[in-house]
Amino acid sequence: MPNMIETKNLIKVYGKEVKNEVLHGINLEIKKGEFSSIIGPSGSGKSTLLNLLGALDNPTEGEIYLNGSQINKLDDDQLADFRNKNIGFVFQFHHLLPEFTSVENVMMPNWIGDSNNPDQDENRAMELLDLVGLKGFENKLITKLSGGQKQRVAVARSLMNKPELILADEPTGNLDTETSTKIYDLLRDINKELDTTFIVVTHDRHIASKTDRVIEIIDGRIDKDYLNSPEHEYDNFENVAPKYCFLCGENVIK
Amino acid sequence: MWFEFKVAWRFLKSGKTQTLLILLGIIVGVSVQVFLGSLIGGLQQDLVNQTVGTSPHVTILPENEIPRPLVVNEDKYSRVITFASSTSGINRWREIEEYLNEEEQITEVSPTIDGSGFAVRGQKNLQVVMRGIELDKADGIYNINENLVNGQADIGGNNIIIGTELANELELQPGDTLKLNTSGGVSDRFIVRGIFDLGSKELNSSWIFMSIRRASTLFNFSDQISNIEVQISDVFASDQVADQIMNRFNNINAESWQRNNQQLLTALQSQSSSSLIIQIFVIIAVTLGIASVLAVSVVQKSRQIGILKAMGTKRKRVGIIFLIQGAILGLTGSILGALSGIGLSQAFVTFTRGATGDPLFPITINPTFILISIVIATSAGMIAASIPARNSAKLNPIEVIHNA
Repeated sequence: MPNMIETKNLIKVYGKEVKNEVLHGINLEIKKGEFSSIIGPSGSGKSTLLNLLGALDNPTEGEIYLNGSQINKLDDDQLADFRNKNIGFVFQFHHLLPEFTSVENVMMPNWIGDSNNPDQDENRAMELLDLVGLKGFENKLITKLSGGQKQRVAVARSLMNKPELILADEPTGNLDTETSTKIYDLLRDINKELDTTFIVVTHDRHIASKTDRVIEIIDGRIDKDYLNSPEHEYDNFENVAPKYCFLCGENVIK
Repeated sequence: MWFEFKVAWRFLKSGKTQTLLILLGIIVGVSVQVFLGSLIGGLQQDLVNQTVGTSPHVTILPENEIPRPLVVNEDKYSRVITFASSTSGINRWREIEEYLNEEEQITEVSPTIDGSGFAVRGQKNLQVVMRGIELDKADGIYNINENLVNGQADIGGNNIIIGTELANELELQPGDTLKLNTSGGVSDRFIVRGIFDLGSKELNSSWIFMSIRRASTLFNFSDQISNIEVQISDVFASDQVADQIMNRFNNINAESWQRNNQQLLTALQSQSSSSLIIQIFVIIAVTLGIASVLAVSVVQKSRQIGILKAMGTKRKRVGIIFLIQGAILGLTGSILGALSGIGLSQAFVTFTRGATGDPLFPITINPTFILISIVIATSAGMIAASIPARNSAKLNPIEVIHNA
């Protein structure tokens, strides 16, 4: 299987006067169609890694290849264009535009990419909303939806431009357990049906234990990187990120 | 652009109160501007019209001669000297008239013989100015035909036309006869054919038009005339035209209305500059208003901007969203403002009337001026939006996304 993501010795330093190295040389390969999770305590650098993988930021050193193209040398506008065409994002706080309706939010990546086929695009947005179980909510303003519904719209939006990679940053962090499970199952279904590569950043061991592969990050380094069998999530649970639990103490899952 | 416009529109729509407030600000600003501009424009045009509308812009006169003593009476206690200036007229007037007719910027040329005297009827004896004209030429300046209120404009032979005030004073109707005495001692009877109203009490009470030929014999002018009256297309070029004529011909003097009305022109100019200053400050206030509202809006919408950027919106396009907001605010506000300014002007014309029930002065709505106001307000809106636009373009999506 070809690699969806490949990084070579990624280093990220913040600050000019006082330098703060957040990532100390990350080497990572993620295969196409993989459903992996990145887990680690706050401050471990997992969000920074996600920014780099999501083409939101450039590394200080090292190389990133996404789907075969090197992106660490692109400028801001080229990165923006790359994100629009190749990456879908699902964020913790859904991050939808409250000024627009569900279907308009789903179509947003398409508008940004200046599609020239508005009718077809609207049909696709409708289908996606149907796929995430929001048939009938197409023309509702975002502010009129529940938390779970908003996150479903966000998932539909991330699929709009048919990206091969979807990055989810704490996609269920803001939801109750039942809704979390539903959203997770939805992502999983999409992964199976469309063969989309998923990377889920989480500090939820339940979620991590359900993914195919767990990458544990501690202090800017990959501490552990292992494959899971999602069918045995309860057996896995104890094994996932024990260090992380030890480190973060009270932060352990509810 | 469609995408930027759509987002800009929704952003404006979602902050209704804010949008309405700033729109109101622009509307008030622009309507004050349009109203003030129209008012002052109308006032000035009215003043200029009253001054030069139905009067010559340039008058060509014989050269002034130095008054010379005529009679000296001397006795033990006093000395009385009577001065007289030359009463000679313009000799080469046909040549001058021909030249004036050739000039492009000169629209009307009317050779005239003027003389003073008295109109006598019964016991009444009124001082009048007798003006010998060629009707079709003088009509171009005074609109005699249009301003005729009674009778007809016929000045053939001994026919004359007189002003309304004079007709009232002497109780004259078309068809009546009127005796005129010139200051030179000549006296004759004339038939009143028409009565005009030139819009000025002074002219209506003293002017009498007759044919130039009749005036020539009445005042014994032989082949001279007293002056040539000229109107030009650009009334504010009267100085140049007068100078040009004086340079071309000797022994004549050309007077322009501008030189004769220096004070009025200075007043108009200072009025224009004060109105311009007011308008500039109104525009500055409007610009600051738009800028501050949009600056707040960038902060309010920073999350949305971050999301749009994360999904691949380029920096420039985010900036354009705010520029479009500025343009929408400026354009809508200034169009509504212009309309309400026109409404205000109309209301002013309707509600402020003089004693006669006529508007005090007509307000001229100048479409170019209004268009300029709209363009300026819209550009001001975009300029005001450019600072927030730059700030929004600088916004880093990462910070926004992770600090929800």
